[in-house]
Amino acid sequence: MSAVVTFAGVAFAYADQDPALVDIDLTVAAGDVLLVVGPSGSGKSTLLRAVNGLVPHATGGHFRGSVTVAGRSTRDHRPRDLADSVGFVHQDPEAQFVVDEVEHDIAFALENLGMEPAAMRRRVEEVLDALGIAHLRHRSPTTLSGGERQRAAVAGALAAAPDVLVLDEPTSELDPQGADDVLAAVTRLNADLGTTILLAEHRLERAAPMADLAVGIDRGRLRGPEAVPALLADYEGAPPVTHLGHLLGWIPPPLTVRDARRLARDTVLPEPPDRAEVPTPGDVLVGARGVRVRLGHHPALRGVDLEVGRGEVVAMLGRNGSGKTTLLRALAGLLEIDGGHVDTLARVAYLPQDPNALLFAPTVRAELEHTLHLLARRDPEAVTTWLDRLGLTDLADRHPRSLSAGQRQRVAIGAVAVGGADVLLLDEPTRGIDPPSAGALEQAVADHAAGGGAVVLATHDVELAARCATRAVVLGDGDVVASGAARDVLAGSLFAPQVLRVLPPYLTVAEVAGALGR
Amino acid sequence: MPLSTVPRFHAVTWLAWALAAVVIVQLASSPLYVTLVLAASALVAGAHRISSTGAFRLLVGAGIVMALIRVALTALTTHAVGTVLFTLPEATLPRLLGGFTVGGTIEKEVVLQSLAEGYAIVALLGVFGAFNSVVSHHELLGSAPRAFHEAGLVVTIAAAFVPSTVTSWQGAREADRARTGGIVRRRGRLVRTVVPVLETGMERSLRLADSMDSRGFARHPPGPADTASAWGALLALMSLAGSFVALVGRRSTLAAVLATTGAVLLVASVVLASRASPRRRYRPRALTGEDLLIMATSALALTLVAIAAAGGEGSLSWSASPLRSPDLAPLPAVGILLLAVPALLPTRPVPDEESEARTTADNARTAQPVAS
Repeated sequence: MSAVVTFAGVAFAYADQDPALVDIDLTVAAGDVLLVVGPSGSGKSTLLRAVNGLVPHATGGHFRGSVTVAGRSTRDHRPRDLADSVGFVHQDPEAQFVVDEVEHDIAFALENLGMEPAAMRRRVEEVLDALGIAHLRHRSPTTLSGGERQRAAVAGALAAAPDVLVLDEPTSELDPQGADDVLAAVTRLNADLGTTILLAEHRLERAAPMADLAVGIDRGRLRGPEAVPALLADYEGAPPVTHLGHLLGWIPPPLTVRDARRLARDTVLPEPPDRAEVPTPGDVLVGARGVRVRLGHHPALRGVDLEVGRGEVVAMLGRNGSGKTTLLRALAGLLEIDGGHVDTLARVAYLPQDPNALLFAPTVRAELEHTLHLLARRDPEAVTTWLDRLGLTDLADRHPRSLSAGQRQRVAIGAVAVGGADVLLLDEPTRGIDPPSAGALEQAVADHAAGGGAVVLATHDVELAARCATRAVVLGDGDVVASGAARDVLAGSLFAPQVLRVLPPYLTVAEVAGALGR
Repeated sequence: MPLSTVPRFHAVTWLAWALAAVVIVQLASSPLYVTLVLAASALVAGAHRISSTGAFRLLVGAGIVMALIRVALTALTTHAVGTVLFTLPEATLPRLLGGFTVGGTIEKEVVLQSLAEGYAIVALLGVFGAFNSVVSHHELLGSAPRAFHEAGLVVTIAAAFVPSTVTSWQGAREADRARTGGIVRRRGRLVRTVVPVLETGMERSLRLADSMDSRGFARHPPGPADTASAWGALLALMSLAGSFVALVGRRSTLAAVLATTGAVLLVASVVLASRASPRRRYRPRALTGEDLLIMATSALALTLVAIAAAGGEGSLSWSASPLRSPDLAPLPAVGILLLAVPALLPTRPVPDEESEARTTADNARTAQPVAS
C-alpha cells in the first residue's frame, strides 16, 4: 500500500502564539480511514488544514518540515493547486456553498479545474448518486436540513475525485439523524471508491467503528497511529461501551454496542444496589400548563404541561422540530404563546443554541461581569464561582472569540447563569463541544441543581441525559409523549443509552464502577 | 415544497427584457405608461420568481421612499408660478450653503410634476426588482466575460450573505434579552448586537474562503486576452455613458464621437472575449424558443415605443404646467403590454419535477442499507 499523505517533521505555530503542532511524523496509507481525536484547541484542525496547505498558506505563521499529498508538497502547491488531490469539508454546513443551487455548487470545483463539459456533467451525476442527494440537485442549500446540507458539501469536496477527503468535525452541528446520514455516506465513499478519509470527530459512537486507525493529538503532539480501541481505551470522549470495556478489563475494549453485548455474556456483575432514590423535587419554580404555540401556520406546541421544581435537572429529548426550542423559549418568556399559561415563580435565564450570538466582550471575565452590569448588580463572588464551576478560571483573561467551540459554549453559559437565575434553560448545550467541555458543563449543571436551582436541557444526547438528568421528557410533534424519572423514560426507549443496552439495569459507566466498588 | 431555484428562462433573456423595460420608462415617462410598465413587472415577478426573498416588493418599497423624499425636497426648494396649495414659513439658507430659499409657498404643479418623476423612479426600481427575483445570478455571472468572473463571484456571494446576517441579527437581539432573563436594557444594546453579528460573519467568511480555496477557486488566472477584453468593455461602457451625458448637454458632435468609440470598443472586446480561453461551464443552458420569443417581444415593445417617440407622440411625456390629465396612445400602450408576455408563458412544469424527485428519493432509500 502506498502512502498518500505524509507528514515529515512538521512543526507549526500561528504568529505570536505557542506551537500548534510539534514534530509531527505521520503516514496515511491509500484507502484508509484515519480518525483524529483530541480536545478542542489541541491542534486537530491545524493538522487537518495542513493536509492541503491551508496551513500555512491561508493562515501565515511559522511552518517547518514537509507535508506531501499524492507526491506533491504543500510547500510549492497552494490549496487551490491541490484541489484535485484533497477535498476539504469543515463543520459549518452553511459557510461552504458558493452557488445557490446544489448541482452547480458541486460543479464549482470542476469549473475551476477546467474539466471538459461532458466529463463534468457525468461526474456531477455520479457524485449526486454517491451521496444520495440526486433529488436535491435543484434546491438551494439554504432550504436543506443540516444533514442534507452537509452531504451536499461533501459532494462539492468530492467532485474533483480527490485521493484524500479531509473532514473536520463534519457532524458537530448536526442532529443524530443528520450525523448518521453524513457518516454513512462517507463510509460508502471509502468502501466503494477507496477514497482515503481523514476524519476529526467529537461524537465517536458512530465514527469510531468506521475507522481503520486513530491518532490522538494533545497540545500539538501526536500519538499513534494505533488501532482504534487501543487509542480510545483511556480517552475521555470514547463511546460509553469503550469506557465500560476498559473498566471491566475487556481486551480489546469494544467500540460498538454489538461487540460489547457479546463480551458481556460472560460478565457477572453484583446485583445493583437499590435504586438510588430520586430526590423529590422542591417547590415549583416554573410551570407550563396547556401551552400552545403556533409558528406561522405550523402548530409547534399543542398543549404542553411541564413543571420544573427546585433541585431538578430535566432532560428534554426529541427529534429536530419536535418543539424543544419553542418550549424553552416559551418558558423563558421570549415568545408569545397562543394558549395556556406559563407561571414563572423564579428568575429564568435562557441560553440559545448558538453561543456566538451572545459573546461580545473583550475577555471572558468581562463577558460575565457585563451580565451583572446589565442587571445593575455587583457580585464579584458570583463571577468567580461560575468561572470556577465551568473550568474557565485559567481562561478568564482570554478573548472569548479566540476560544474553541466548547470553551465558548461554557463562557455563554457563564454569562447567562451568573445573573443568579434559579432556572437555567439550556438549548443543546453539548452540541459540537469536546469531551472536557462537556464534562465541565455536566458538573456545573449538577452543582447548580444541588445548590437549589433547576436546569432544563434540550438535547439529542441520551448519554448526557443518562449521566446528569433526574427527569426526562420526550417531545414529539408538539406533544409530550413521555415524561418521568430519567431512568424509567430512557429504559423504555429504543434509543436507550449504550450501557443500559449492554448491562441492564445499569445506566452509566459510573454506576457500574460504583457497584464494583471502584 | 420550497420554490425551485432554477429560473424558467435564460439570464440573457431576462437581461434583454429588463433593458427594454428600462429604456421604455425613459422614453415614455407619463404616469399612465409608467403604470403599465410597473404592472407588467409585477406580473412577471409574480409568475417567475425563483426565491421567496421578495426582491420586487423590497425595491418598489425603496423606490417609493426615495420618490417621496424627492417630492418633499423639490416642493420645499422649487418655486414656480402656479396654484398655491399652502404656505410654509420660509428660510433663506446662508450663501455658503447655496443661498436658496427653503419653505414658503408650495405649488400644486411642482408637487405633481415631481410626483410623476418619482413614479418613474419607482418603476425603474420595480423593473430591477422583477429582474432580480426571476434571474439566476449564477447564470448571469456565467454569461459575463471570463475576466469579470472572479470579481463578480465575490459580489454574488456577498449578496448571499445578507439573509444569514439578518438571521444572526435576530439571534443576537434575542440572546441579549435572554441573558438578563427577559429584561430589555436599551443602553449599549447596539454594541451587544453588532459585535456578535460582525464577528460571526467574519468567521463565516474565513471558512468560506477556505472552502473556495480548497475547491480550486482562482486556480487559473484569466489570460491576457481576458484582461484586455474586460478593459475594452469597461472603456466602452464609459464612452457610451459619456455620449449620453453629451447628448443631454446638447453637444452632438462630442456625443457622436464618444458613441462611435464606445461601439467600436464594445465590438472589439466581444471579439477578444470570444477568442480568449472559454471558461468551462457546467450545464450552460441553450436559449429555447420561448427565450427567443421573450427577447423578440421585448425588442418589439421597445421598437413600438421608439417609433411613437420618434413620431413626436405627445402623450409619452407629461407635464404639470399647464395642468392636463395624462392620456394614452394605442401604439406605445400595446408596446408596453408586450413586456408582460413572459407572465403569460407557463411557469415551471411542476408535476414532472415532483415525480422525478420521488423516484430518486426512493432510489436513495434502497441504496441506504448497503451503506451501513
